[in-house]
Amino acid sequence: MPTAVQIAERAGYSVRSIFERFPDLNALRVAATDYSLAQALALAPPRGADGDRETRLRSQVTTRAHTCERGIALWRVLLQFADQDETGQLKQRVARGRETTVGRMELMYRPELSSLPEAERHQLLIALEALTDMESWARMREQHGLSFDEACEVWIHAIDRLLPATPAAMKASAAA
Amino acid sequence: MTMPDTPILGGDGAAPARDGRIDGRRLRSERTRRLIIEAYIALVRETGQMPTAAQIAERAGYSVRSIFERFPDLTALRVAVTDHAIAEARASGALRDLDADRLTRIMSQVDQRGRGCERWLPLWRVLSSDLSDAPDLQQRIQMIRQLSVMRMEMMFRPELSTVADAVRKKTMLALEALMDFESWARMRELYGLSFEEASAVWVKAIDRLLPPTPA
Repeated sequence: MPTAVQIAERAGYSVRSIFERFPDLNALRVAATDYSLAQALALAPPRGADGDRETRLRSQVTTRAHTCERGIALWRVLLQFADQDETGQLKQRVARGRETTVGRMELMYRPELSSLPEAERHQLLIALEALTDMESWARMREQHGLSFDEACEVWIHAIDRLLPATPAAMKASAAA
Repeated sequence: MTMPDTPILGGDGAAPARDGRIDGRRLRSERTRRLIIEAYIALVRETGQMPTAAQIAERAGYSVRSIFERFPDLTALRVAVTDHAIAEARASGALRDLDADRLTRIMSQVDQRGRGCERWLPLWRVLSSDLSDAPDLQQRIQMIRQLSVMRMEMMFRPELSTVADAVRKKTMLALEALMDFESWARMRELYGLSFEEASAVWVKAIDRLLPPTPA
Protein backbone atom coordinates (compact mmCIF):
# COMPACT_ATOMS: atom_id res chain seq x y z
CA MET A 1 0.00 0.00 0.00
CA PRO A 2 1.61 3.27 -1.04
CA THR A 3 1.88 6.20 1.39
CA ALA A 4 0.21 9.55 0.74
CA VAL A 5 3.63 11.03 -0.04
CA GLN A 6 4.38 8.34 -2.64
CA ILE A 7 0.97 8.76 -4.26
CA ALA A 8 1.32 12.55 -4.40
CA GLU A 9 4.79 12.30 -5.90
CA ARG A 10 3.65 9.80 -8.55
CA ALA A 11 0.56 11.84 -9.44
CA GLY A 12 2.51 15.10 -9.53
CA TYR A 13 0.41 16.80 -6.88
CA SER A 14 0.88 17.78 -3.25
CA VAL A 15 -0.20 15.58 -0.36
CA ARG A 16 -2.70 18.30 0.48
CA SER A 17 -4.31 17.87 -2.96
CA ILE A 18 -4.97 14.23 -2.14
CA PHE A 19 -6.70 14.99 1.11
CA GLU A 20 -8.76 17.78 -0.49
CA ARG A 21 -10.33 15.10 -2.67
CA PHE A 22 -10.31 12.08 -0.34
CA PRO A 23 -11.02 12.48 3.38
CA ASP A 24 -8.56 9.69 4.23
CA LEU A 25 -6.51 6.92 2.63
CA ASN A 26 -9.33 4.43 3.07
CA ALA A 27 -11.60 6.61 0.91
CA LEU A 28 -8.83 6.66 -1.70
CA ARG A 29 -8.53 2.85 -1.50
CA VAL A 30 -12.29 2.53 -2.09
CA ALA A 31 -12.10 4.91 -5.07
CA ALA A 32 -9.09 3.07 -6.52
CA THR A 33 -10.95 -0.22 -6.16
CA ASP A 34 -14.05 1.13 -7.91
CA TYR A 35 -11.85 2.44 -10.70
CA SER A 36 -10.11 -0.92 -11.06
CA LEU A 37 -13.32 -2.95 -11.01
CA ALA A 38 -14.78 -0.71 -13.73
CA GLN A 39 -11.57 -0.98 -15.73
CA ALA A 40 -11.52 -4.78 -15.37
CA LEU A 41 -15.07 -4.98 -16.70
CA ALA A 42 -14.29 -2.64 -19.60
CA LEU A 43 -11.16 -4.56 -20.57
CA ALA A 44 -12.77 -7.96 -20.30
CA PRO A 45 -16.14 -8.05 -22.04
CA PRO A 46 -17.67 -11.52 -22.34
CA ARG A 47 -16.57 -13.03 -25.65
CA GLY A 48 -17.59 -16.26 -27.31
CA ALA A 49 -20.58 -16.86 -25.00
CA ASP A 50 -22.43 -18.52 -27.91
CA GLY A 51 -19.48 -20.63 -28.98
CA ASP A 52 -18.93 -24.31 -28.51
CA ARG A 53 -17.65 -25.67 -25.19
CA GLU A 54 -13.98 -25.45 -26.12
CA THR A 55 -14.34 -21.87 -27.38
CA ARG A 56 -16.17 -20.76 -24.26
CA LEU A 57 -13.64 -22.46 -21.98
CA ARG A 58 -10.68 -20.81 -23.71
CA SER A 59 -12.38 -17.44 -23.81
CA GLN A 60 -13.41 -17.41 -20.15
CA VAL A 61 -10.05 -18.69 -18.92
CA THR A 62 -8.01 -16.28 -21.03
CA THR A 63 -10.13 -13.32 -19.95
CA ARG A 64 -9.93 -14.31 -16.29
CA ALA A 65 -6.19 -14.90 -16.53
CA HIS A 66 -5.58 -11.44 -17.96
CA THR A 67 -7.70 -9.94 -15.18
CA CYS A 68 -5.61 -11.84 -12.60
CA GLU A 69 -2.34 -10.71 -14.18
CA ARG A 70 -3.43 -7.08 -14.08
CA GLY A 71 -5.28 -7.12 -10.78
CA ILE A 72 -3.43 -9.38 -8.33
CA ALA A 73 -1.38 -6.63 -6.65
CA LEU A 74 -4.38 -4.40 -5.99
CA TRP A 75 -6.52 -7.38 -4.98
CA ARG A 76 -3.98 -8.33 -2.31
CA VAL A 77 -3.97 -4.81 -0.91
CA LEU A 78 -7.75 -4.80 -0.98
CA LEU A 79 -7.98 -8.06 0.97
CA GLN A 80 -5.35 -6.88 3.43
CA PHE A 81 -7.28 -3.73 4.28
CA ALA A 82 -10.83 -5.05 3.93
CA ASP A 83 -10.88 -6.46 7.46
CA GLN A 84 -9.61 -3.20 8.95
CA ASP A 85 -12.07 -0.99 7.06
CA GLU A 86 -14.75 -0.06 9.58
CA THR A 87 -17.01 1.39 6.88
CA GLY A 88 -17.38 -2.05 5.30
CA GLN A 89 -16.96 -0.53 1.83
CA LEU A 90 -13.89 -2.55 0.93
CA LYS A 91 -15.53 -5.83 1.94
CA GLN A 92 -18.47 -4.84 -0.21
CA ARG A 93 -16.11 -4.38 -3.18
CA VAL A 94 -14.43 -7.73 -2.52
CA ALA A 95 -17.85 -9.37 -2.57
CA ARG A 96 -18.77 -7.49 -5.75
CA GLY A 97 -15.54 -8.61 -7.43
CA ARG A 98 -16.31 -12.23 -6.59
CA GLU A 99 -19.94 -11.88 -7.72
CA THR A 100 -18.75 -10.53 -11.06
CA THR A 101 -16.43 -13.50 -11.52
CA VAL A 102 -19.17 -15.98 -10.65
CA GLY A 103 -21.68 -14.11 -12.84
CA ARG A 104 -19.28 -14.35 -15.77
CA MET A 105 -18.91 -18.10 -15.31
CA GLU A 106 -22.69 -18.50 -15.09
CA LEU A 107 -22.96 -16.71 -18.42
CA MET A 108 -20.16 -18.56 -20.16
CA TYR A 109 -21.12 -22.04 -18.94
CA ARG A 110 -24.88 -21.60 -19.03
CA PRO A 111 -25.48 -24.61 -21.33
CA GLU A 112 -23.67 -26.98 -18.98
CA LEU A 113 -24.88 -25.40 -15.72
CA SER A 114 -28.49 -25.39 -16.89
CA SER A 115 -28.45 -29.17 -16.93
CA LEU A 116 -27.84 -29.33 -13.17
CA PRO A 117 -30.32 -29.03 -10.29
CA GLU A 118 -30.09 -25.68 -8.44
CA ALA A 119 -28.18 -27.01 -5.41
CA GLU A 120 -25.63 -28.81 -7.52
CA ARG A 121 -25.15 -25.77 -9.77
CA HIS A 122 -24.48 -23.65 -6.70
CA GLN A 123 -21.90 -26.17 -5.44
CA LEU A 124 -20.17 -26.25 -8.80
CA LEU A 125 -19.98 -22.45 -9.03
CA ILE A 126 -18.34 -22.32 -5.60
CA ALA A 127 -15.76 -24.88 -6.75
CA LEU A 128 -15.15 -22.99 -10.00
CA GLU A 129 -14.68 -19.76 -8.08
CA ALA A 130 -12.12 -21.40 -5.79
CA LEU A 131 -10.28 -22.85 -8.76
CA THR A 132 -10.09 -19.53 -10.61
CA ASP A 133 -9.33 -17.36 -7.58
CA MET A 134 -6.67 -14.66 -8.01
CA GLU A 135 -4.35 -16.43 -5.55
CA SER A 136 -4.77 -19.71 -7.41
CA TRP A 137 -3.49 -17.93 -10.52
CA ALA A 138 -0.69 -16.24 -8.59
CA ARG A 139 0.50 -19.56 -7.12
CA MET A 140 0.74 -21.14 -10.55
CA ARG A 141 2.70 -18.19 -11.89
CA GLU A 142 4.86 -17.22 -8.89
CA GLN A 143 5.33 -20.45 -6.98
CA HIS A 144 5.10 -23.15 -9.64
CA GLY A 145 6.73 -20.99 -12.33
CA LEU A 146 4.14 -21.71 -15.03
CA SER A 147 3.95 -19.51 -18.11
CA PHE A 148 0.73 -17.66 -18.86
CA ASP A 149 -0.27 -20.31 -21.42
CA GLU A 150 0.64 -23.24 -19.16
CA ALA A 151 -1.40 -21.81 -16.31
CA CYS A 152 -4.36 -21.29 -18.66
CA GLU A 153 -4.11 -24.95 -19.69
CA VAL A 154 -4.36 -26.02 -16.03
CA TRP A 155 -7.58 -24.07 -15.61
CA ILE A 156 -9.03 -25.21 -18.93
CA HIS A 157 -8.34 -28.85 -18.08
CA ALA A 158 -9.84 -28.54 -14.60
CA ILE A 159 -12.94 -26.59 -15.64
CA ASP A 160 -13.56 -29.05 -18.45
CA ARG A 161 -13.52 -31.88 -15.92
CA LEU A 162 -15.68 -30.02 -13.43
CA LEU A 163 -18.41 -29.07 -15.89
CA PRO A 164 -21.07 -31.61 -16.80
CA ALA A 165 -21.49 -32.70 -20.42
CA THR A 166 -22.82 -30.06 -22.80
CA PRO A 167 -26.46 -30.83 -23.67
CA ALA A 168 -26.80 -32.14 -27.23
CA ALA A 169 -29.23 -29.40 -28.26
CA MET A 170 -26.74 -26.73 -27.19
CA LYS A 171 -23.95 -28.44 -29.12
CA ALA A 172 -26.08 -28.33 -32.24
CA SER A 173 -26.99 -24.65 -31.84
CA ALA A 174 -23.35 -23.68 -31.22
CA ALA A 175 -22.31 -25.60 -34.35
CA ALA A 176 -24.98 -23.84 -36.39
CA MET B 1 40.51 -28.41 43.44
CA THR B 2 37.07 -29.21 42.21
CA MET B 3 36.84 -29.44 38.45
CA PRO B 4 33.79 -27.81 36.92
CA ASP B 5 32.45 -31.13 35.73
CA THR B 6 33.30 -33.03 38.92
CA PRO B 7 30.43 -33.77 41.30
CA ILE B 8 30.62 -31.45 44.32
CA LEU B 9 29.49 -34.26 46.57
CA GLY B 10 31.03 -37.67 46.31
CA GLY B 11 29.07 -40.89 46.16
CA ASP B 12 26.51 -42.32 43.86
CA GLY B 13 23.82 -39.80 44.67
CA ALA B 14 25.80 -36.67 43.72
CA ALA B 15 25.77 -36.83 39.93
CA PRO B 16 22.06 -37.50 39.57
CA ALA B 17 21.35 -34.53 41.88
CA ARG B 18 23.27 -32.17 39.60
CA ASP B 19 21.85 -33.71 36.44
CA GLY B 20 18.47 -33.40 38.02
CA ARG B 21 18.98 -29.65 38.49
CA ILE B 22 20.08 -29.28 34.86
CA ASP B 23 17.20 -31.38 33.64
CA GLY B 24 14.85 -29.36 35.81
CA ARG B 25 16.09 -26.07 34.35
CA ARG B 26 15.87 -27.45 30.84
CA LEU B 27 12.39 -28.76 31.44
CA ARG B 28 11.27 -25.43 32.90
CA SER B 29 12.79 -23.58 29.96
CA GLU B 30 11.09 -25.89 27.46
CA ARG B 31 7.82 -25.52 29.32
CA THR B 32 8.14 -21.72 29.21
CA ARG B 33 8.88 -21.87 25.49
CA ARG B 34 5.87 -24.10 24.89
CA LEU B 35 3.58 -21.87 26.94
CA ILE B 36 4.72 -18.81 24.97
CA ILE B 37 3.96 -20.61 21.69
CA GLU B 38 0.58 -21.79 22.97
CA ALA B 39 -0.24 -18.26 24.16
CA TYR B 40 0.55 -16.93 20.67
CA ILE B 41 -1.73 -19.53 19.04
CA ALA B 42 -4.56 -18.92 21.51
CA LEU B 43 -4.44 -15.15 20.92
CA VAL B 44 -4.48 -15.58 17.14
CA ARG B 45 -7.49 -17.92 17.38
CA GLU B 46 -9.35 -15.39 19.52
CA THR B 47 -8.55 -12.20 17.65
CA GLY B 48 -7.44 -13.22 14.17
CA GLN B 49 -4.62 -10.68 14.58
CA MET B 50 -0.89 -10.98 15.07
CA PRO B 51 -0.39 -10.53 18.84
CA THR B 52 2.13 -8.13 20.35
CA ALA B 53 4.94 -9.24 22.66
CA ALA B 54 3.11 -7.67 25.62
CA GLN B 55 -0.10 -9.58 24.84
CA ILE B 56 1.78 -12.87 24.46
CA ALA B 57 3.66 -12.32 27.71
CA GLU B 58 0.49 -11.48 29.61
CA ARG B 59 -1.35 -14.53 28.27
CA ALA B 60 1.57 -16.88 28.95
CA GLY B 61 2.11 -15.48 32.45
CA TYR B 62 5.69 -14.38 31.82
CA SER B 63 7.52 -11.10 31.27
CA VAL B 64 8.23 -9.68 27.83
CA ARG B 65 11.88 -10.20 28.67
CA SER B 66 11.26 -13.95 29.07
CA ILE B 67 9.99 -14.06 25.51
CA PHE B 68 13.06 -12.38 24.09
CA GLU B 69 15.36 -14.58 26.15
CA ARG B 70 13.98 -17.53 24.19
CA PHE B 71 13.27 -15.92 20.82
CA PRO B 72 15.56 -13.24 19.35
CA ASP B 73 12.58 -11.45 17.77
CA LEU B 74 8.91 -11.93 16.98
CA THR B 75 9.71 -13.39 13.56
CA ALA B 76 11.69 -16.16 15.27
CA LEU B 77 8.66 -16.76 17.49
CA ARG B 78 6.42 -16.94 14.39
CA VAL B 79 8.76 -19.56 12.94
CA ALA B 80 8.64 -21.58 16.19
CA VAL B 81 4.84 -21.31 16.24
CA THR B 82 4.72 -22.58 12.66
CA ASP B 83 6.96 -25.56 13.49
CA HIS B 84 4.75 -26.34 16.49
CA ALA B 85 1.63 -26.16 14.32
CA ILE B 86 3.15 -28.37 11.60
CA ALA B 87 4.14 -30.99 14.19
CA GLU B 88 0.71 -30.94 15.80
CA ALA B 89 -1.11 -31.09 12.47
CA ARG B 90 1.03 -34.02 11.33
CA ALA B 91 0.48 -35.87 14.59
CA SER B 92 -3.29 -35.47 14.46
CA GLY B 93 -3.70 -35.91 10.71
CA ALA B 94 -2.61 -39.47 10.13
CA LEU B 95 -3.49 -40.91 6.74
CA ARG B 96 -6.67 -42.94 6.93
CA ASP B 97 -8.54 -45.13 4.44
CA LEU B 98 -5.61 -45.26 2.00
CA ASP B 99 -6.77 -48.63 0.67
CA ALA B 100 -10.46 -47.82 0.66
CA ASP B 101 -12.72 -47.25 -2.34
CA ARG B 102 -12.74 -43.94 -4.24
CA LEU B 103 -15.59 -42.24 -2.40
CA THR B 104 -14.31 -43.27 1.04
CA ARG B 105 -10.87 -41.87 0.24
CA ILE B 106 -12.31 -38.61 -1.09
CA MET B 107 -14.53 -38.19 1.97
CA SER B 108 -11.69 -39.06 4.32
CA GLN B 109 -9.37 -36.54 2.67
CA VAL B 110 -12.04 -33.82 2.69
CA ASP B 111 -12.96 -34.45 6.32
CA GLN B 112 -9.35 -34.29 7.45
CA ARG B 113 -8.62 -31.18 5.39
CA GLY B 114 -11.83 -29.46 6.46
CA ARG B 115 -11.00 -30.06 10.11
CA GLY B 116 -7.48 -28.80 9.52
CA CYS B 117 -8.81 -25.63 7.94
CA GLU B 118 -11.23 -25.08 10.82
CA ARG B 119 -8.45 -25.49 13.35
CA TRP B 120 -5.61 -23.67 11.66
CA LEU B 121 -7.17 -21.01 9.43
CA PRO B 122 -6.65 -18.02 11.79
CA LEU B 123 -3.04 -19.00 12.39
CA TRP B 124 -2.47 -19.65 8.68
CA ARG B 125 -3.74 -16.16 7.86
CA VAL B 126 -1.51 -14.49 10.42
CA LEU B 127 1.58 -16.53 9.62
CA SER B 128 1.28 -16.15 5.86
CA SER B 129 0.20 -12.50 5.86
CA ASP B 130 3.60 -10.83 5.59
CA LEU B 131 6.47 -13.03 4.53
CA SER B 132 8.56 -10.36 2.85
CA ASP B 133 11.29 -10.27 5.49
CA ALA B 134 11.00 -13.82 6.80
CA PRO B 135 12.64 -16.40 4.50
CA ASP B 136 12.44 -19.08 7.23
CA LEU B 137 8.71 -18.56 7.42
CA GLN B 138 8.35 -18.57 3.63
CA GLN B 139 10.08 -21.95 3.62
CA ARG B 140 7.65 -23.31 6.23
CA ILE B 141 4.60 -22.02 4.37
CA GLN B 142 5.94 -23.70 1.26
CA MET B 143 6.49 -26.89 3.25
CA ILE B 144 2.89 -26.86 4.53
CA ARG B 145 1.63 -26.58 0.95
CA GLN B 146 3.92 -29.42 -0.15
CA LEU B 147 2.75 -31.65 2.70
CA SER B 148 -0.82 -31.01 1.71
CA VAL B 149 -0.10 -31.87 -1.93
CA MET B 150 1.86 -35.02 -0.98
CA ARG B 151 -1.05 -36.16 1.12
CA MET B 152 -3.45 -35.80 -1.79
CA GLU B 153 -1.03 -37.64 -4.07
CA MET B 154 -1.05 -40.56 -1.63
CA MET B 155 -4.80 -40.54 -1.09
CA PHE B 156 -5.57 -40.41 -4.81
CA ARG B 157 -2.67 -42.52 -6.06
CA PRO B 158 -4.89 -45.10 -7.81
CA GLU B 159 -6.56 -42.44 -9.95
CA LEU B 160 -3.45 -40.29 -10.52
CA SER B 161 -1.38 -43.32 -11.55
CA THR B 162 -3.53 -43.85 -14.63
CA VAL B 163 -2.70 -40.55 -16.32
CA ALA B 164 0.35 -38.98 -17.94
CA ASP B 165 2.63 -36.73 -15.88
CA ALA B 166 1.31 -33.55 -17.49
CA VAL B 167 -2.30 -34.41 -16.68
CA ARG B 168 -1.37 -35.45 -13.15
CA LYS B 169 0.37 -32.13 -12.61
CA LYS B 170 -2.63 -30.18 -13.88
CA THR B 171 -4.94 -32.20 -11.66
CA MET B 172 -2.77 -31.63 -8.59
CA LEU B 173 -2.59 -27.88 -9.21
CA ALA B 174 -6.37 -27.76 -9.50
CA LEU B 175 -6.82 -29.83 -6.34
CA GLU B 176 -4.42 -27.56 -4.47
CA ALA B 177 -6.39 -24.47 -5.52
CA LEU B 178 -9.70 -26.10 -4.68
CA MET B 179 -8.60 -27.23 -1.21
CA ASP B 180 -6.80 -24.06 -0.21
CA PHE B 181 -7.40 -22.62 3.28
CA GLU B 182 -9.09 -19.55 1.82
CA SER B 183 -11.34 -21.67 -0.38
CA TRP B 184 -12.64 -23.34 2.78
CA ALA B 185 -12.90 -19.98 4.53
CA ARG B 186 -15.01 -18.49 1.74
CA MET B 187 -17.44 -21.40 1.85
CA ARG B 188 -17.84 -21.02 5.61
CA GLU B 189 -17.65 -17.23 6.00
CA LEU B 190 -18.87 -15.78 2.69
CA TYR B 191 -21.36 -18.42 1.52
CA GLY B 192 -22.40 -19.41 5.04
CA LEU B 193 -22.13 -23.16 4.43
CA SER B 194 -22.07 -25.59 7.33
CA PHE B 195 -19.08 -27.92 7.75
CA GLU B 196 -21.03 -30.72 6.05
CA GLU B 197 -22.23 -28.51 3.19
CA ALA B 198 -18.73 -27.19 2.54
CA SER B 199 -17.38 -30.75 2.65
CA ALA B 200 -20.01 -31.79 0.10
CA VAL B 201 -18.80 -29.08 -2.31
CA TRP B 202 -15.25 -30.40 -2.11
CA VAL B 203 -16.26 -34.06 -2.34
CA LYS B 204 -18.30 -33.46 -5.48
CA ALA B 205 -15.60 -31.30 -7.10
CA ILE B 206 -12.76 -33.73 -6.33
CA ASP B 207 -14.81 -36.60 -7.71
CA ARG B 208 -15.24 -34.69 -10.96
CA LEU B 209 -11.59 -33.62 -11.13
CA LEU B 210 -10.05 -37.02 -10.55
CA PRO B 211 -9.55 -39.43 -13.43
CA PRO B 212 -11.52 -42.70 -13.30
CA THR B 213 -10.43 -45.25 -10.71
CA PRO B 214 -8.74 -48.22 -12.39
CA ALA B 215 -10.72 -51.45 -12.22
